Amino acid sequence: MSESLIKLENVWKIYQLGKIELPVLKGINLEIRKGSFVTIMGPSGSGKSTLMYLLGLLDVPTKGKIFLEGENVSGFSENELAKIRGQKIGFVFQQFNLLQNLNALENIIMPMIFQSVPELERKERAEKLLASFDMQKRAHHRPGELSGGEQQRVAIARSLSNDPEIIIADEPTGNLDSSTGKIIMEALSELHKKEKKTIIVVTHDPTIAHYSQNIIHIQDGQIIHNHFQEEKVLWEQNSHKS
Amino acid sequence: MGKINFIKEYFKIAIKSLKARRLRSWLTIIGVVIGVFLIVSLMSLSEGIKTALMQQLKMMGKDLIMIFPGEITDMATMMSGGLELTEKDMDAIKKAEGVETIVPMNYKGEAVRHEGKVKTILINGVSWKDGMDILKNDFGWSIKEGDWPVIGKKEIIVGSAVPTDVFPGMKVGDEAFISGRKFIISGVLKSLGNKQDDSTITVDLDIFKDITGEKKGAKIVLARAKQGYEIDEVIENIKSNLLETRKRVRGADSPSFSVLSSEKVMDIVGSILGMIQIAIFGFASIAIIVGGVGIMNTMYTSVRERTKEIGIMKAIGAKNSAINTIFLIESGFFGLFGGIGGMILGLGLAKAIEFAVKATGNLYLQASITPQLIIFSLGFSFLIGCIAGYLPARSASKLNPVDALRYE
Ligand SMILES: Nc1ncnc2c1ncn2[C@@H]1O[C@H](COP(=O)(O)OP(=O)(O)O)[C@@H](O)[C@H]1O
Ligand SMILES: [Mg+2]
Repeated sequence: MSESLIKLENVWKIYQLGKIELPVLKGINLEIRKGSFVTIMGPSGSGKSTLMYLLGLLDVPTKGKIFLEGENVSGFSENELAKIRGQKIGFVFQQFNLLQNLNALENIIMPMIFQSVPELERKERAEKLLASFDMQKRAHHRPGELSGGEQQRVAIARSLSNDPEIIIADEPTGNLDSSTGKIIMEALSELHKKEKKTIIVVTHDPTIAHYSQNIIHIQDGQIIHNHFQEEKVLWEQNSHKS
Repeated sequence: MGKINFIKEYFKIAIKSLKARRLRSWLTIIGVVIGVFLIVSLMSLSEGIKTALMQQLKMMGKDLIMIFPGEITDMATMMSGGLELTEKDMDAIKKAEGVETIVPMNYKGEAVRHEGKVKTILINGVSWKDGMDILKNDFGWSIKEGDWPVIGKKEIIVGSAVPTDVFPGMKVGDEAFISGRKFIISGVLKSLGNKQDDSTITVDLDIFKDITGEKKGAKIVLARAKQGYEIDEVIENIKSNLLETRKRVRGADSPSFSVLSSEKVMDIVGSILGMIQIAIFGFASIAIIVGGVGIMNTMYTSVRERTKEIGIMKAIGAKNSAINTIFLIESGFFGLFGGIGGMILGLGLAKAIEFAVKATGNLYLQASITPQLIIFSLGFSFLIGCIAGYLPARSASKLNPVDALRYE
């Protein structure tokens, strides 16, 4: 059993709508292990994105504790959380969420600017990342000039720019056709296999379970199923495929 | 060092987003440009007017009395130069008790030709007979080359800048033509301390009347008190004499006049111009502040439009301070860029007015473009930009990243 990377302990997220309290996550207990590939599934509105934001330290729980590598980060300041996000977590969104004013290369460079990576190194690394997703020819295109699949590949490259340990992808294929979606999922599984990244993916696509060692079903703000597959089986499956 | 480097990156990001909203950015900048344009043009012109007048006044000795037509507090009439003191007024002044000599003075811009070149120059008309002494002793005029003109001859003296700047190569003994009449340069004056005065030509009042066709009256009359008389006493005498004459000649609605010691004149002119400058400064500052409100409006709109972008930046590791800096740079840029634009236009207008006024020759005006004015207007507009951007930038940096990401 590999070590714990993120741990949620009785985590609640409650939104206050005027006088009404709207609990969106209701006492989540969850452990993400280093190097695992986790799939989160569940109906729309069940709280998946909310959970992802908490796992990605973009949001803080109303109640409960979040541990990152054994450290309780619940009480961390916004700046401390921003720093951890920048260094250890990469986000991939359904809407791609690239910055529209910037071209592909600049989008990938951006997270490195926030981490004070020197200019030459930034550019070199961004170009390498673009090339690894076969996007070097699109370096100077803005998001508006790219297809959905291309944008998502840039977004994944961007999520890797500070070489984070964790990639959090919230329905990364949700806006893509199935064949493009497959390419994206393969890219994520490559990252898991070759780069040993911890990957957390929200998806509605059951075939993605192929890639996954841990499938979590969430419904109405609660985990109703937390299913582990043997790592060995997974590795074998993947190696057969490739 | 690292910090500066990343400010540079934030600067690039800010510029990119300004470019993405080109029209609105320009409109916001124009709002600032107008305010700075007003401050710079009006301040440099009013300062120029002040300097020109004060320098003229400063040259006079303290025991001189000046008599102006019109009320000295009525700047508009004074400046327009329409009013004159008549021959009868001058008689009254001369007869006032305690007055030793009076010197009527007049001035006008005229075209002067020297060796084929024609320039408009301010011509002073001073009665040599009475006035040469006052010019030498009270105004401190002295001859650098050549000699004082001989009374009755068609001789003129030129300021020290005339042979260098206005008509390079001009020498004593040269001919110059004014209104088609030929004159000999009898002498060149030592510098009077400023370019404007050094670029004038002085002629006998009779000649002046001939050239300009203004036969009667004077724009200023100088009077000197006799030894042993208090200057204020003499002033009162002149006033009552003038008043009596005017009543007799023109009845009750006689135009007013001002009799002042040279010191008093400087005080009054100085304080009036000072007040005008404060008023100009106040109104123009309001215009800049209005520009600042425009910046604030644009920045708030921008924060709202870019809510999602802010969420994305936070998701990829931007600290609040980074977001804050980016937005502050944008608003500061509006201020600074508007300031630069306003300054260029303002200085341009001031210079254009300076040339236009010089061409008419009524007033010798040099737009005053000081480093202080430039630094102040740029600094002020930049500061306004930063202040206007402070709240919007703060609200951007304080956005909850998840709310920002969910924002559509
Ligand atoms: N800021 C908010 N205020 C109130 N309710 C919210 C807010 N954000 C999300 N919700 C609600 O929380 C629930 C879960 O949302 P979300 O986590 O996005 O679900 P999923 O990603 O599973 O579709 C939804 O009912 C949504 O309307
Ligand atoms: Mg969702």
